[in-house]
Amino acid sequence: MSESLFGLSPDAVVADLDEGAVHLRVDAQLYPLEAIYAAAYVFIARCWVLLDKPEPNRIRVTLTAKGAQPSADDLRALVGEFGNELLSSAWRHEITKTNRAMIEAVTMQAFSGAMGPPSLDELAAFDFTDEPFEDPLGIAQSWEDKYKKKPAKEGEP
Amino acid sequence: MIELRFHRELYAGTAIDAALVRLADYAQFERAEDGAHFVVRVSAANEKRARKVARELGNFALGLTVEKGGPDR
Repeated sequence: MSESLFGLSPDAVVADLDEGAVHLRVDAQLYPLEAIYAAAYVFIARCWVLLDKPEPNRIRVTLTAKGAQPSADDLRALVGEFGNELLSSAWRHEITKTNRAMIEAVTMQAFSGAMGPPSLDELAAFDFTDEPFEDPLGIAQSWEDKYKKKPAKEGEP
Repeated sequence: MIELRFHRELYAGTAIDAALVRLADYAQFERAEDGAHFVVRVSAANEKRARKVARELGNFALGLTVEKGGPDR
């Protein structure tokens, strides 16, 4: 028997009390697939979880409680916990995406630090001939170098 | 017999295959494909057992898909 759960939109959540299951419709534009996976993975220990994609940009998550037959209240709590986990996973995913460059830089520094300082042989073999970077506008030049008086040419006052 | 449908954009075929291998001792499986879905039909000595194995198969397939980083590309 399918029915809506009190307080929850029947468009978003439908409960099947006989099966002890709830079907949630998740907007895939709002929640990335990685977040849905992460939330679903957390619930694998407590529920049987099945995903489906009935239409583009909609993912249906079916949670069937393991163990004793759940009541409507139990299913409502399950939906609430899943919603919280989904939001948390989406936010973690967003933070990771935003800070990816910084995380990679810190990780690279940690790895290069773990390799230890260069040996004397490595320093001796290091090629210092390359210019560190191009500076066509002279931004890296010191004020003194840039504006120092040029020696007067012969014949000039 | 229980029929499970796994959407190709959500489940990795290799993960489903691995899940089928893990549960091969508990039921008989028939694998098929239907448009956007991988289809697995589960049959066992009785309906209750088939249903339980089918549910475990769903969890295994999802867990292995997540662990490998998503569906096959």
